[in-house]
Formats: sequence, structure tokens, C-alpha cells
Amino acid sequence: MPSFKLVWRNLLRRPLRALLTVASLAIAIFLICALRTMITTIAAGVENANPRRLDVMSSSGLFNELPLSYQAKIERVPGVEKTTKFQWFGGYFRSQKHFFAQFAIDPETMFDMYPECKVPPEQIEALRRTRAGCIIGRSLAKKFDWKIGDTIPLIGALHPRPDFKAWEFQVVGIYHSDVPSFDNRTLFFGWDYFEETLKAGGVPPGVGVYAIRATPDANIERVIADVEDQFKDSEQRIDCATEAEFQRQFQTMFGNIPLFLGWIGGGVLIAILVACINTMLMSMREQTADVGVLKSLGFTDGSVFGLFMAQAMFLCLVGGAIGLLVAWSTQRPIAALIEMMFPGYSITPQTFALAAVVSLVLGVLAGILPAVRARRLRCVEALRATD
Amino acid sequence: MATAIVQVRGLTKTYTRGGEKLTVLDGLDLDMEEGGFYALMGPSGSGKTTLLNMVGGLDRPDAGEVVVAGEDLGALSGAALAAWRSRTVGFVFQGFNLIPVLSALENVELPLKLTRLSRRERREHAEYVLGLVGLSDRMHHRPGQLSGGQEQRAAIARAVVTDPKLILADEPTGDLDRVSAGQVLDLLGKLNSELKKTILMVTHDPHAAERARTIVHLDKGQLGRVEEKQGALQRA
Repeated sequence: MPSFKLVWRNLLRRPLRALLTVASLAIAIFLICALRTMITTIAAGVENANPRRLDVMSSSGLFNELPLSYQAKIERVPGVEKTTKFQWFGGYFRSQKHFFAQFAIDPETMFDMYPECKVPPEQIEALRRTRAGCIIGRSLAKKFDWKIGDTIPLIGALHPRPDFKAWEFQVVGIYHSDVPSFDNRTLFFGWDYFEETLKAGGVPPGVGVYAIRATPDANIERVIADVEDQFKDSEQRIDCATEAEFQRQFQTMFGNIPLFLGWIGGGVLIAILVACINTMLMSMREQTADVGVLKSLGFTDGSVFGLFMAQAMFLCLVGGAIGLLVAWSTQRPIAALIEMMFPGYSITPQTFALAAVVSLVLGVLAGILPAVRARRLRCVEALRATD
Repeated sequence: MATAIVQVRGLTKTYTRGGEKLTVLDGLDLDMEEGGFYALMGPSGSGKTTLLNMVGGLDRPDAGEVVVAGEDLGALSGAALAAWRSRTVGFVFQGFNLIPVLSALENVELPLKLTRLSRRERREHAEYVLGLVGLSDRMHHRPGQLSGGQEQRAAIARAVVTDPKLILADEPTGDLDRVSAGQVLDLLGKLNSELKKTILMVTHDPHAAERARTIVHLDKGQLGRVEEKQGALQRA
């Protein structure tokens, strides 16, 4: 290659064009990072699933409740070490705009079965002792500026109180999880308070999901079959699945969003590739006479090829680097913006690496056609471009 | 007697344009002595530039042999021919053909990147040669900021900076006014008389050709009249 100075100066021959190309590349790489992160965020639930945990829900759907009596039957199945229960509360704070997940849970078992939900033992103890206590996620606490001791009033849209007043929960603990699939914006409150309050109104609660922890040596397939077998003749039949499978089924609620996002990403890549090739071809046309001069001076076909490849690579790598920087620096605001749809939005090192490779490949693909043309160009033909 | 630096034998080149074959050089034989100053004249299409390109190794003949500075150009591969060009030949074009994004100094330094000279040595060489062509005060200007005559002088500096034996100039004064053309021809004459460079200059201009010691006429791809002009440089 003749010199890096020549690469740089040729790129600045049309500064606006170079700037716009770099900007489009940066946007494309940023979008690749963002879109892929949305897909990986959706998939994180499956990837982070605990292989020893199983979920049991009604075979007619997640929103059909299971009887409380099922828990004891499940616990009798060989290979079941522990169970816990969840019920979706579905309330809202002040208005439906302020949506976040709330679950009635059993504090005696839930935190033991989900060690990724990190909460100090004394706060779990406080939840056991405090009838209307709740433990909330760190992000949720930050969002509403809630602290331990605060009271959170919730309108029970799915489970109204018998007196139709708001439920009131006292914050006794704040949890956090480093596992992206475990949402840091959930409110957990004690089962006893939930059950007693609803029973007082004559509507005893059911269970949305039973979670099972299998013994370390259990044959998971066998446990699933045995649990399902327990209820095959019951009024309310159940589906038992591994946590990964449960997450996979949950993902189907997103429909074809991952595929759709993938298509958008692919479209963005193709569009930017075409734009880059066009930029480099225009650039090559402008430098045709220079190619002739360089060859007449004794620069080889290979070094002329290198000159154009270097220009394309430099353009794409600069655009890619800016895109990566923007993607990295905007993670927090984007995560806050889309936390409802994509909780735990965080760009993985693999995504950064993929985007860097994409930039590199774009550079190669954008440069190869003009570089090959320049290499093949006969010196006398190139010189004729200005003669 | 001086040795021949260029030996052309049976040189033939045919182009196909619009489906029609056009013989530009037709079995041409020509010898050029080392240290000579040759003007190549002839009507348009007579094969002047094609011959210049063959002698400079920019194009290959369909038939015939070109031996320059003892090297049979037909026997060299593309890369070897490029390396040979960088050592042996300096080109001066009608349209100057400086790289527009580089300064005069950077343009002159460019061929030196193919040598083993250090960055500092390259810079010193380029500055020295630009001084020889009278452009010391314009060396940091880009081609667009130079006059035509200055551009052509910078191009001549680029052609000689690697100290080649042979300077090939294709209509070097074609785009210049009379004064600038005179300066460029003076410079070429100086390169020939003082630095003993062999010069082959294609020109339409009889006044420019007068500066050469030998005028070679081409007609329809064949060698025509050859005029030896004793003391031509002094008369100019």
C-alpha cells in the first residue's frame, strides 16, 4: 500500500460523503447491537434456566389457577426435593401506566429455591414476620424511590380486597439479581397475607405456578412424567416442564418478534453494505487517474488493491467503532426505556464481538469490488482517465 | 559511440475499436542512445504515445521486442515490470497527473516509498529535487494551488527523484502557456545535458521538438524520417 496518508487523504477527498458513510455505519452497528441484545434478552430466560428446576401450571393456560392441595401431592413424587408457589397479583400502583410484576410467594421456600434472587437473610426473616410485608427489586425501588419502611398501595385489579380498598404492602427488603432473566423490578409479598385476605371475602386463592426443585440425582424426564401422572385424572390437569421449556413457552408470547428483529437487522446490514460499496465505487472512479500514476511509478497491482481495501476497511472500522461506542454508552437509557418489554437489556461481550466482526466483514465486502477493479485496471487505461 | 539504452525490434500493437482492427505500431524498429534527447513526432494516431508506453513498460506489444537498459521487458512479470519501472523510468504526462490530495513534496516523495530510504532521507531527497526545479517555496502546496507550469515542474521532480536513466515525457508542454512551456523544456534540457538523463519526448509542437538532439518521425505506426540536430539545446 502506498501510504496511510494517501488512504486518509483519499477518504477526506469528499469529507461530507465520508462523514455520512461513517454515520450510517455507526447507526447500523448500533442497531445490530441493540436488536441482537433484544433477541438475547428474550432468550436469556432459556439460557439461564436452572436444570434442576421444573414449573407446573394448568394445562389450559397460565392464567388458570391450580388448587392449593396440589402442592402436597407434588411433593410426594420421588425426585422432588422442594416446591414453592407463585400467584400473579396483577395490581397496579396509582394507575395502569405504572405497571410492574407482583407475585404472592411463600417466603419459607421461594428464596431458597431461587438463590439468584439475592436478599439479606434478615430481610427474608422480616418478610416472614411482617404480615403485609413485601420485598421489591432494586430497579423498582430506584424507579419509585421506595425505601425499606415505605408503604406501597396497590389496586388489586385481578384480586380485589373484599372491602375494595387498596392493598397496602410495607417494604421490608430489597433484592437484586445479576441474572438478566430474573427481573429486578418485581414485588414479592407473603402468601399468608394474600390467602387470608381473599379467604375473608370468600374467594380462596389458587396457585398460578408451582415450582419444583428436583433432587441432584433425579431423572428429570421421569420426575416430569410422574408429576403429570399424579393429576391425569384430576379435574384440573397440569403441564410440568423444565424451567428452560417453561421459559421457551413464555417466549412464544413474543410471537415472531425475535425473527422480526433479526430481519430488521439483516435488512439494515444489506442496506449499509450496498451504501458502502457505492461509496467505494464512487471513490474508486475519482481515483482512476491516480491508479494509473501509482502503477506508472512502480507500485504493483497488489499495492493498489491494498490501497482501496485499506480505505474501505478504515471507513467501516471507524464507523463500526463509533457504533459500538454509542451502543455501549446508551445501554442504561435504552434499558430504562424498554425494561417492560426487554428486562435486563445488557449488551453481551459476544454481541460486541459480533458487531466488530460485522464491521470488519462490511469493510472487506465494501472494498473488494473497487479494489479488484483497481487492481485489474491497465495502467494506460487509468492514465487516460484525465488525458 | 554511446550504447543503446532503448532497442525496439519488430514492435507491433493492434487495437480493436468498434469491431475494427487498428494497427497502431506496425513492425517498428528503433534504437535510442544513452544520454540522448529524442523528440517523437507524427500525426495523431501515428503511434507516438503507444510507443512511449511500450518503452516505459506501461503496455505490452502484440509482437516484437523492447529492450530498455538491458532488460527485455517482454520477459518480465507484472510485478517485476513494476519494480523495473520504479528503478529505470520517470514519466512526465501532459496532464501533469500529480495526486491531487498530496502536496508537491508528498507527490515527489511517493516513488521513494518503493526504495529502502528512511523517511528522513526520502524527505531530504524530495526537497532537494524540488529545489532543483525551483519549487522550494511551493513544496507544501497541493496541485490545485499551483500553476500549470509549477505542476509540471513538480511532476518532473517526481520523475527524476529516484534517479532513473530514462525520462519519458508525453506532450509535457501540451497544456502549458508559452512561458511555462519554455521553463519545462529548459528543465528537460538541463536534465539531459547536466544529469545525462536520456529523454524521449512525444510532442506535436515543432518548437518543443527543436530542443531535442534527435527528432524521430512516426507515420502510420512505422518509423519515418530521423533528424539529427547538432547543438539543438544550445540553439533553443
